[in-house]
Amino acid sequence: MAKFPRLITLPIAAALILSACGGGATPTPAGSTAASTPPASSEASGGSSAPGSSAVTSGSITVTSLWGGSEQDAFQKVLDAFKAKTGITATYQAQRTDYATVLQSKITSGSPPDVAIMPGLGFLRQFARSGGIKKISDLGIDPASLDANYPPGILDPGKVDGELYGLMVKFNSKSTFWYRPDKFTTAGAKVPASWDDLKAALDTLKSKGSATPLGLGAKDSWTLTDWFEEVYLRQNGADAYKTLFSPTGNWTDATVSKAITTMTEVINDKYVVGGIKGALGVAFTDGIAQAFGATAKADAYYEGGFVGGIATGQVNKDLKIGTTIDWFNFPTFGGAGDTAAEIGGDEIAALTTNPGVKEFIQFMASADAGTTWAKTGAIISPVKAVDPSAYPNDLAKKEAAQVAGASAVVYDGSDTLPAGAPDMGAMLQDAIQGKDVAGLLGTFNTGVTAAWAGEK
Amino acid sequence: MTATPAVIDPPKTGRRPAGMESSSWISVLLFLLPALLLLGIFLVYPVISTLRMSLDRGLGGNFTRFVGLDNYIALLNTPSFVGSIVNNVLWMIFYTSFVILFGLLIAVVAMRVRYESTIKAIVFLPMAIAATALAVIWGFVYSTDPHIGVLNALLGVIHAGPISWLGDAGFVNAALIAVGIWGSTGFATVILSAALKGIPTEILEAARTDGANELQIFVRIIVPMVSLPISVLAVTLIVNVIKLFDIPYVMTQGGPGNASRVIAFEMYKQDFSAGQFGKAAAVAVVMLLLLVPVMVFNIRRFRSSSVV
Repeated sequence: MAKFPRLITLPIAAALILSACGGGATPTPAGSTAASTPPASSEASGGSSAPGSSAVTSGSITVTSLWGGSEQDAFQKVLDAFKAKTGITATYQAQRTDYATVLQSKITSGSPPDVAIMPGLGFLRQFARSGGIKKISDLGIDPASLDANYPPGILDPGKVDGELYGLMVKFNSKSTFWYRPDKFTTAGAKVPASWDDLKAALDTLKSKGSATPLGLGAKDSWTLTDWFEEVYLRQNGADAYKTLFSPTGNWTDATVSKAITTMTEVINDKYVVGGIKGALGVAFTDGIAQAFGATAKADAYYEGGFVGGIATGQVNKDLKIGTTIDWFNFPTFGGAGDTAAEIGGDEIAALTTNPGVKEFIQFMASADAGTTWAKTGAIISPVKAVDPSAYPNDLAKKEAAQVAGASAVVYDGSDTLPAGAPDMGAMLQDAIQGKDVAGLLGTFNTGVTAAWAGEK
Repeated sequence: MTATPAVIDPPKTGRRPAGMESSSWISVLLFLLPALLLLGIFLVYPVISTLRMSLDRGLGGNFTRFVGLDNYIALLNTPSFVGSIVNNVLWMIFYTSFVILFGLLIAVVAMRVRYESTIKAIVFLPMAIAATALAVIWGFVYSTDPHIGVLNALLGVIHAGPISWLGDAGFVNAALIAVGIWGSTGFATVILSAALKGIPTEILEAARTDGANELQIFVRIIVPMVSLPISVLAVTLIVNVIKLFDIPYVMTQGGPGNASRVIAFEMYKQDFSAGQFGKAAAVAVVMLLLLVPVMVFNIRRFRSSSVV
């Protein structure tokens, strides 16, 4: 080995390196000419599959959202109906957790799904402004043609800078306060209409044996944002609510701290199962179980309309609607917001303009899709033409009627805040622990203002 | 490239032909090139790129707006970020020291019994569990419902509690660190056990002959002789702490409030998820800076002391 001529090693090494580089480099010229061809050919094939017309009758697209389990089964029925109607296969990709993050990274890496159904308007705005999602008009759909399908205001959350990017495809009321009719009757508690009634009912339940009548799953901090939003909406009305969750919202305003103080009139160690510290260690579904599980300690639980499906489907299959589970309107304060309703919903948006995407978005805005989906009992459809009789049970019918009859409908505020805002739920977790509310709100206000400014 | 080792063997004669000095530099460079390329692509470039990204808005992955140090200033003005650094420091102190302490104790004690391998296997078992699964399991252990949570069931026996381990800001960090300690003690035990085996028995016997008791042997001989493995272990554990994410993510999502947030979680939740890649890159740079003293210490340690 030592005799291996040194002068020869150098050229050999150089040759090795060069050939190593060359291995990668040689195909490049060929590749570059080839690379220019695929877009053209794919466009051609896209065109040839639908010669002369915009109607696509086959092919496949991918749709992503965060549902699994029974929600996914329900949505699959909608996709099957789409396939039956158009011949296009829509494949569902579930992204259960970290939805926006994964979607963000897929968009950034240039391989997004065709269609995404997303909660959270902050992300919708962010993706819209970064060009990640397409305008509805980019798909060849006239936004004005959709107006007639929906009640007024339902399309507003899907607009970014005046342009329509997303359509609401499903929603749930958030103004539903769940309770145990049987236990209320036994204790002689009245179903509350006003906030004072609620406190009186909780006191009655407490005096009749329920040490802690109110369930709370505050480990999932978004349950607290819903509590706050409901109280704020009821106390201040829909206009003030919309302003608060807009770039001009002022979180140091006295109405905000008042709403938090009001919340703590019932969210406290006196009424909540396990006290505040206990509740902060309890997840959302475990909170439902506190009121509706087989060994329930609580008699009431506040969260949106989706509680019904989870309680009767997962937590306790023995529940009887109207007897052991029902809901009443979130209590009122005798002000402008008494007849308003808050909803949380998901927006559908196109991430590509591939063939079939336009057809899918149009289908999802139709009564066909809305009725098919509503019949599963998984959702409330925003589409006007969906008949109330489509809903399979009284809870869902009542929920659809509540929103339809509301004087004003507002969108979930925490889902409206910019994606970069401080965690509103975490702030409320601190607030219900008795930390200085003014200080928390001051910091939060600074962060939210900066996040709104940082969106553009 | 398989010929490389043969080629760089220095000539056994030690004779260097005149005039080869400059061309040998070129050949040295050529042979270093592949390694330098790999290092450059996979280490140096990402660091420089991250630094550059941290000076940009980077909204939604568009790095087109240079903002100087704004991201860093914004970070320092974010209370939850500052809080997360404090939590990381708590982790560094308690997690690192307890893992080493327990690891050393178990290794020393286990060495004296016949069923040593059984004990080590049991202690090592948590290492075989993915951190996510570990966190889920401990989520049950800490449950406030005594029918689910073992700890609160035990407290129930003595008519105390239940304590909301994960819902009480006063307990949550201790509860999470305990999970980390449980998960990593096996690792420390195995490393330190191997190091202990390397201590020549002659030294221990000599000490015993000289009349040293077991405690003196442990403090004066065993600990100093495994100090290098301990410091290596400490560095590894501290690096683990700085990139810690899974346990708080699965068990508390940083709550209650922001009480259990750590840096990596903060970066993910507050910045990366929000599409604020510039700010997320700034957090990554802060994490890198936190690692630098640890790495410097590690390298110095290797250079100064001879391996036992």
